[in-house]
Amino acid sequence: MNKKKIEEMLELMEKYGLSEINIEEEGVKVHLRKGGQNVETLIQPGMPQIMAAAKQENVPETKEEAKNFIEIKAPMVGTFYAAPAPDAQPYVSVGQSINEGDVLCILEAMKLMNEIKSEVKGKIADILVENGYPVEFGQVLFLVEPK
Amino acid sequence: MFGKILIANRGEVALRVIRACKEMGIKTVAIFSQADASSLHVRFADEAICVGKAPSGNSYLNIPNIISAAEIADVEAIHPGYGFLAEDAHFAEICESCQIKFIGPTPENIRMMGDKMLAKETMRKSGLPVIPGSKTVVRTKEDALKTAKTLKYPVILKASAGGGGKGMRVCHNDVRLVSSFLTAQREAEAAFGNSDIYIEKYIEAPRHIEIQILADSYGHVIHLGERDCTIQRRHQKLIEESPSPVLNKKLRKKMGDMAVKGAKAAGYVNAGTIEFLLDKNENFYFMEMNTRIQVEHPVTEMVTGLDLIKEQIKIAAADRLRIKQEEVRFEGSAIECRINAEDPDYNFRPSPGLVSHLNLPGGLGVRVDTHVYQGYEISPYYDSMVAKLIAYGKTRKEAIAVMQRALEEMIVGPIKTTIPFHRQVFSNPAFLRGKYSTDFVEKIFFAK
Repeated sequence: MNKKKIEEMLELMEKYGLSEINIEEEGVKVHLRKGGQNVETLIQPGMPQIMAAAKQENVPETKEEAKNFIEIKAPMVGTFYAAPAPDAQPYVSVGQSINEGDVLCILEAMKLMNEIKSEVKGKIADILVENGYPVEFGQVLFLVEPK
Repeated sequence: MFGKILIANRGEVALRVIRACKEMGIKTVAIFSQADASSLHVRFADEAICVGKAPSGNSYLNIPNIISAAEIADVEAIHPGYGFLAEDAHFAEICESCQIKFIGPTPENIRMMGDKMLAKETMRKSGLPVIPGSKTVVRTKEDALKTAKTLKYPVILKASAGGGGKGMRVCHNDVRLVSSFLTAQREAEAAFGNSDIYIEKYIEAPRHIEIQILADSYGHVIHLGERDCTIQRRHQKLIEESPSPVLNKKLRKKMGDMAVKGAKAAGYVNAGTIEFLLDKNENFYFMEMNTRIQVEHPVTEMVTGLDLIKEQIKIAAADRLRIKQEEVRFEGSAIECRINAEDPDYNFRPSPGLVSHLNLPGGLGVRVDTHVYQGYEISPYYDSMVAKLIAYGKTRKEAIAVMQRALEEMIVGPIKTTIPFHRQVFSNPAFLRGKYSTDFVEKIFFAK
C-alpha cells in the first residue's frame, strides 16, 4: 500500500461517485471516506470490491482535474501491461514526452496483445494502473499534460 | 459447483441470477455499460466491470469485452440471462473455447431452434404436431398460390430467418396473398438479410401455450407444466399465467409429454420452452422453441416451488437433474404482469425517466422482480421493463384478487407505466372468465 495506490483509490472514488471505500490487501486495511457530503444511502450490499460503486451527487474536483489533464482511457476490457515484455523497459514513464501514435501500453484481452496508442501530444503526468492489473472499459490509464 | 459466475446481462434478470448465486454461495461478477453504473445489479454483485458505452452493441452485445471481463475476473461460467447474447450460438461457442461454461443449452441446440423452419421440421419428424404449412421456402408467387390452395385460407406468411413476431402477414384470399408475398420478401430481406418466406395455415384466435422444459446433460428431461401467454400486444407478451384456464389434466399431460419428446429428440440441455398454439378444438401445434430462460419463468416457479435459475446452474455444473416427472407438483395459480415504462394511452410509447416515487406492493401471494429503486433513472437505451409483478393464490380467482389488490398498491412515478392497462385487464369479464385469445388486447382498445 503506497501513496500511488491511495491516489488511485481516490481517483476511483471520484470517478464512480463513491463516498466510502474499504480495501484490504496483503494484510493492510485502508478505509477512505468523504467528509461532509449529503449521501443518499439506499442499501449496504457489503464491502464493495474496487470496481463496485454506490451513487452520490456532485463530487469536488481533484487537484489534477483542476489542472486540465487529458485522460487516456481504456477502450476495452483487459489486463494492463506497461512494457512490451516482462523484462523489457516500460513504453512510457512519468515526465516523458509523447506524440500521437506512440504506443503507451498493452491491454491484453482473450490472449491477444493490443497496443494502445496515444491520440494526443504531451507529457505523461501520471500512470494510474499498475503492471499486470485488470482494467475495465473507460478506466483512466494515463494523465497527460497537453502541449 | 462453480465458484464464480459472470452475468452477461442487466436489469431485473441480472439481479435474479445474482440472487440465486448468493443463495448457492457462488461469487458474482456483473458487467455494465456506462449508462448502468448506478444500476442495482452492479451494486449487488461481488465485482462489477464496465464493458462499454451505453448502446447495447458497445456493451451488452460486446463479446470481446465481455469475454475479457470474464477472464480478468477469472470466472468459471457465464449466465447470459434472456435477450442480448442468450441465444447467440457464436457467443456460446466462444465461451466453450475459452473454457468458460455457458449456462444454457449447447450451441447446436441454439442453432437448430434458431432456424424456425429447421426447428419445425425436426419436431415434426419426432412426432410432434406442427402447424400445416410449406415444408420448404416458397420461392415464387405461383408456388405461394398453390400452397395456399392446399392449406386452405386463411394462411400466414412468415420469414424463415425471422421470429419474435416480425415480418408476418395474414392472408384471406388470392389477391391479398400475391401482393403480400412480394412485400413480405422485401421486408424479410431488409430486416433479416434473408428473403426466404414460408407459408403456414393461420390458426384463428389461438391460445399461446408454452411448456417449460428442464434437461440435464445426461439425457434426463422433464416438463414443468404450461404457461398461458395468450395476452399479447404485437406479439409481445404482457400477461402470463400458470396453469392455463383452458387446459385440463389430460391435455396438460399430452402437451407436456410431447414437449419432452421434442426436447429429447433435439438433444436439448438445460432450461428451454416449447411454444404451442392451441386452437378452439383442443388441437395443439408446435410453433417454436426458445433456447433460454424466459422472462415469465417466475410463474412456473410459484406453481412448482422450484428455482429455475438454480436448476440451470446445477445442470451447467454437470449435476444430475434429480427430479422425476412424477415428483413435479403443481399447486395453486400464478399470474404475472409485465410492468413496462410505456404509455398505454399513447400507443404504448416508451416513457423512460426518473422514478422518484416508488411503492412496491407486498403481502401474502405477491412477488416483485425488479431492478428499479426510488431515485433510479430508467434509461432509453434498453427495453422498457420496469418490474414483473407476480400474484399467487390457491385458485385462479384468488390469484386475480391478489393481483387486483397489488396493482392498486403499486406506484411507479411520475413516468407512465402499463399499470393502468393491467388494471383494465383484471376487471375485464372475458379475462376473469379465462375466455380470451390472442386478439384480446386489440379488442379492449377498439372497444374504447
